[in-house]
Amino acid sequence: MKRITLGLLGVVAAVLLAGTVGAADLRVGLKLEPSSIDPHYHNLGPNNSAARHIFDRLVHTNEKQQLGPGLAVSWKPLSDTVWEFKLRQGVKFHDGSPFTADDVLFTFERAPNVEASPSSFALYTKGKTLKKIDDFTIHITTERPYPLMPNDVSTLNIISKKHGEGAKTADYNSGKAAIGTGPYKFVEWVPGDRLVLEKNPDYWGEKAAFDHVVIKPINSDPTRVAALLAGDVDMIDQVPTADIGHLKTNPEVVLSQGVSNRVIYLHLDHDRDDSPFVTGTGGKNPLKDVRVRKAISKAINRPAIVEKVMEGIAIPAGQLLPEGFFGVSPNLKVEAYDPEGAKKLLAEAGWGGGFGLTLHGPNDRYINDDKIAQAIGQMLTRVGIEAKIETMPRSVYFSRASRGGPNKTPEFSFILVGWGAGTGEASSPLKSLLHTYDKARGFGASNRGRYSNPEVDKIIEDALATVDDAKREKLLQKATEIAINDLGIIPLHYQVNTWATRPGLAYTPRTDEATLLMNVVKK
Amino acid sequence: MATTETFPVASSEGVAQAESPLKRFLSDYCDSKVAIGALFVIMAIAFVAIFAPLISPQNPYDLGEIDILDGRQPPGSIGLTGMKFVLGTDDQGRDMLSAIFYGLRISLAVGAMSGFLALCLGMSIGLVAAYFGGRVDTIIMRIVDLQLSFPAILVALVLVAVLGKGVDKIIIALVLVQWAYYARTVRGSALVEREKEYIEAAICLALSHRRVVFRHMLPNVMPPLIVVVTVQVAHAIALEATLSFLGIGLPVTEPSLGLLIATGFDYMLTGNYWISFFPGIALLITIFSINLVGDQLRDILNPRLQK
Repeated sequence: MKRITLGLLGVVAAVLLAGTVGAADLRVGLKLEPSSIDPHYHNLGPNNSAARHIFDRLVHTNEKQQLGPGLAVSWKPLSDTVWEFKLRQGVKFHDGSPFTADDVLFTFERAPNVEASPSSFALYTKGKTLKKIDDFTIHITTERPYPLMPNDVSTLNIISKKHGEGAKTADYNSGKAAIGTGPYKFVEWVPGDRLVLEKNPDYWGEKAAFDHVVIKPINSDPTRVAALLAGDVDMIDQVPTADIGHLKTNPEVVLSQGVSNRVIYLHLDHDRDDSPFVTGTGGKNPLKDVRVRKAISKAINRPAIVEKVMEGIAIPAGQLLPEGFFGVSPNLKVEAYDPEGAKKLLAEAGWGGGFGLTLHGPNDRYINDDKIAQAIGQMLTRVGIEAKIETMPRSVYFSRASRGGPNKTPEFSFILVGWGAGTGEASSPLKSLLHTYDKARGFGASNRGRYSNPEVDKIIEDALATVDDAKREKLLQKATEIAINDLGIIPLHYQVNTWATRPGLAYTPRTDEATLLMNVVKK
Repeated sequence: MATTETFPVASSEGVAQAESPLKRFLSDYCDSKVAIGALFVIMAIAFVAIFAPLISPQNPYDLGEIDILDGRQPPGSIGLTGMKFVLGTDDQGRDMLSAIFYGLRISLAVGAMSGFLALCLGMSIGLVAAYFGGRVDTIIMRIVDLQLSFPAILVALVLVAVLGKGVDKIIIALVLVQWAYYARTVRGSALVEREKEYIEAAICLALSHRRVVFRHMLPNVMPPLIVVVTVQVAHAIALEATLSFLGIGLPVTEPSLGLLIATGFDYMLTGNYWISFFPGIALLITIFSINLVGDQLRDILNPRLQK
């Protein structure tokens, strides 16, 4: 068997050597594909990545999510509640029409109002009032001090007013309205098959490195790797951890790896007294007891998950973001594996006899998600919690996890999820995962465990209204420490992402996990 | 074969002991050595499936018995607890041999249960259609046509997606997919029987519909049905494996053969061949054996192929 495998690899390598890549063309195989080309239809990773080629933002983020000038050349707060953005002059849309402040105003008006949006950009435009001062100056006013203004603005792709007026999502998908200022022009999108882009020769910034790009969705992990090895594509994202070992030794493949801003964690039901997927407790919810949560955290062998499930390609996690990000606490350590301590805590809490618990998770969203869930099942079983594992496709999972229960409450008791800090700092997970659920004010949107701690809420809200960076960081650290020590969530590990390219190309890993052609480097 | 016996012997002694239908059937079956072999393989698989909890080195469905640290060990390696993994382990540290035994249990149970239930359902509907004819027949057969015009896997996928995970749900889905094949087969042969004198006689005796259909017609349409059963049971096993392979069949902590193969597929390029290979072989042997037996049955039961 092994000999056959080696033989096959030999053939593949020979084919690879025979084929050459057109210097200016690129074919990319990505695990996920966008649900639309409309940049404001669906706030979803693959959509945002695709849109970032065709459109520009006022503020751009680099591969470490640090902010830099985009369509705005500079910005500054004029007062606690007013921000001034100076726009770039001489920028042209793909059709040759000039970019002005009107396009920005139009974007902010359209973005929150896209019809049938499954996940709206309204959370970034909420509470912001735009005023045009002249063609290249705008003022954005908020009710309260808002230090994250540039971060919010960096998520909104600026569309053309001329083509965007009255345009529906379908007009962007067909390309009719998909006219931006970005480094690549839209050519064609065939859902499920390909997205074709070509170079924008008149781009204001660094010109695109490739004349013609075809991006293909290849969802199946082994198929994506095989496509790269067979030379069907020049680059793939989300290289499966299982294949990294043998790809590393393959001279025809270049791997690029980088830690992401995504923490994989467990959320527990902090709210209901009788939690639906907790059994054998006579209607009580042991997850509300901090000792039980601590026991679960101690029962998990994080290094073993990283070693055996993730093949070493992940970092055990003790909080919301890996080291180096804004707001990370220096005082939090990764929980050590301690099954005996876990059993003791369970006994102390009165659950020495154990109870039944079902862990729900996705099976196609995060790296090895269903395998992680099963490994956690084993570990909990060892300390006496009778664990059941149920995994499902992300399309079903997330809506059920968020609002599958009665009155649109979260359906599950114990879930495996991940959170990528879109803003690249700790307020994003704190605000969405650990602040008390408050739909009207946009807090706790993904707090599927309904964790609620008034002290944490207060500090998060204070932080979000503190413009001074040093003070804000202290507050974010404090909120993180309280919430994590209270086990509002149980962090497992930080994802490390891997891209693979053919020789002559390399990828600069991005912490936001996006695959952008602008980060592909030719050697 | 029948010619070696003379008619008077058979008729004077009534049902002759030397040539009872069952014996004749058996001796016909034993014509093919391959078919005998296949039958023994099926019996062996059935034995393994039934006694899996007793003969498996480990209970692969008990999360407490498996350890992630034993994950993806090659065949013949020794685990943390000193257990020997004859066929290696899967990604979660499950002993492959035990997982295959338990997987066969699921495959056979699903195949046999869904085959039997679909047979009962399809047969009844087909007989009713043929016996009553007219509008009843038209309506039923159009429904059958409609269902058969969709690929079985598509219908099964939709049903499982709606019903949810679990062995019982899979069986329901497979029954709903497969009844139409039985109905179509039964109706064909029943239409022929319907015109025969003995049915006419039975109707003239004013026997109840039920008695005519099930006591008189049914035994005479059985032969082609038996062949369809073997084909459809094999088909059901393959469908279950496909659904599990696609990740929508059974829970991940209770892998059937299809799910084991799917798990191994992730490691196909890494040289950990055993996760897919051995369950694949087990599935192949099972389906192949059932089909061989089915072939032989068809040869015996089809009068046109009689020597």
